Amino acid sequence: MECLRYGECGIRIIFGRTIDKDINNRVINFYRSLKLKRIAGIIDITPSFNTCLIEFDSTVIDFKSLIDIIKGFDVDTTYPKDLAPKEIEIPVRYGGEYGPDMEFVSQWTGLSFEEIVEIHTSTVYTVYTIGFIPGFPYLGTLDKRLFVLRLKTPRTCVPAGSVGLAQLQTGIYPFESPGGWQIIGRTDMVLFDYNKPPYSILQNGDRVKFIPV
Amino acid sequence: MIEIINPGLQSIIVDSGRYGFSDIGVPRSSALDIFSYKAVNFLTGNEDGSPVIESIGAMLSIKFHEEMVFAVTGAWVEGVLDETPFTSWRSIKAKKGSIMKIKKVNSGFRYYIGFSGKMGIECIMGSYTTNLECSFGGLDGRPLKKGDLIRFSNIIPVDDRFIIKDAIPSMDPPHTLRIIDGPEIEYFTDDAIEKFFGKKDLLRYTVSTKSNRIGIRLEGNPVEFKEGVEKSIISEGILPGTIQIPGDGMPVIVLNERTLGGYARIASVAKVDQDLLAHLKPKDGVILKRIDIEEAETLWILKQKSIKNLLKNK
Repeated sequence: MECLRYGECGIRIIFGRTIDKDINNRVINFYRSLKLKRIAGIIDITPSFNTCLIEFDSTVIDFKSLIDIIKGFDVDTTYPKDLAPKEIEIPVRYGGEYGPDMEFVSQWTGLSFEEIVEIHTSTVYTVYTIGFIPGFPYLGTLDKRLFVLRLKTPRTCVPAGSVGLAQLQTGIYPFESPGGWQIIGRTDMVLFDYNKPPYSILQNGDRVKFIPV
Repeated sequence: MIEIINPGLQSIIVDSGRYGFSDIGVPRSSALDIFSYKAVNFLTGNEDGSPVIESIGAMLSIKFHEEMVFAVTGAWVEGVLDETPFTSWRSIKAKKGSIMKIKKVNSGFRYYIGFSGKMGIECIMGSYTTNLECSFGGLDGRPLKKGDLIRFSNIIPVDDRFIIKDAIPSMDPPHTLRIIDGPEIEYFTDDAIEKFFGKKDLLRYTVSTKSNRIGIRLEGNPVEFKEGVEKSIISEGILPGTIQIPGDGMPVIVLNERTLGGYARIASVAKVDQDLLAHLKPKDGVILKRIDIEEAETLWILKQKSIKNLLKNK
């Protein structure tokens, strides 16, 4: 674990240099423990694949004091029941109007529609991180056979609920948004509700399984 | 109650930001010029954190359906309240039935309008601010439009207040932004770093017309990556003011609408100069000036102290 400074009010905690389940697991354990501690002066915590960003208010706590707290801090890997990672099933309609890039993915990978669905639905994915837009889960790790690159020219508008592929990840657009992932299906499940805590159905570290409908 | 007669180029409800949810991808979406935002609340007798309107462009026009005090901060504007001219950075009393109109924006880009009462805006995830991309917060998650009515409660009398001119930063181009080294600075050649950070105050970049409230794109010499380095990083948490270099080498300054980023970060705009980002408009010149983190930290703490002193209720 390496602590690096980022801007006047940021600390990057580096847990590794690659996208890896174990590294991400350490990030998420650290983030959950830190969040539960409610340290005064911490404004926001952003866990991601291999790092955790902490933003602090420098009028409340300074960089050195915060680093001391973090370095002497025991990461608790046991969770209160309501905070334990959940396993969530997400129903998806694959292909056709719901998956405009299915044909490309099929050509690129040499797999049939049925094989793509079979492979995509047979992994239990981990929510490695959430972001770029609210509630967007970066799920991994995708089966290597479904590796595809992002679109060369991102779409200006991807419908809410779209399920996409990008490199060794799969993800879901909770909102209509511009985007460059290869879209293979769509879910009706509402992933983000700004009126109802915890707002995002999926939390960092949760497990996701897609169910074809 | 106020009525939007004309929303100008774009007007949205903002506040000090939606914090504590970056772990689920929710950005702060705060007012871009925080000093001006705090000042407009001070001028209208509101607590810090109250909702205000952030606008760009002239033509904004608002009708007052009851008597209240309002103020404009941020960009220097020429406005009229019925027939009487007014300008930015002081409180103005509006009578019931009065109409205010912004005729011209003289210096700066974004301006903030506050009112002496509690705005009837719903608090979503701890904030009044608008997340335009995902259509929540503010007024139904969208920019204000003609005919919108905004209700107020607790309208309070406010004495004449103003901000002294010396306390208001220049918003005229070229803009000098002090910057500190970013996490991926070693991805770039020495020559590129030398050119980017520079030694003299040379005009290096202009603001692209493709800029928006998510990011400011700069145009100029592309920043060169070292040979063989990856041009992107594994996406991770990103802070406002970060300067990213995408594959084409053209810098992008991240504003307040993203929590993760996947491009190499050469630098960050020092927090002391981040309010100025609200006033970078297309075609403006930008000068970048490298300072070290300790200096940036001290400047930021001093700035916050001086703002606190300036906006103290007497």
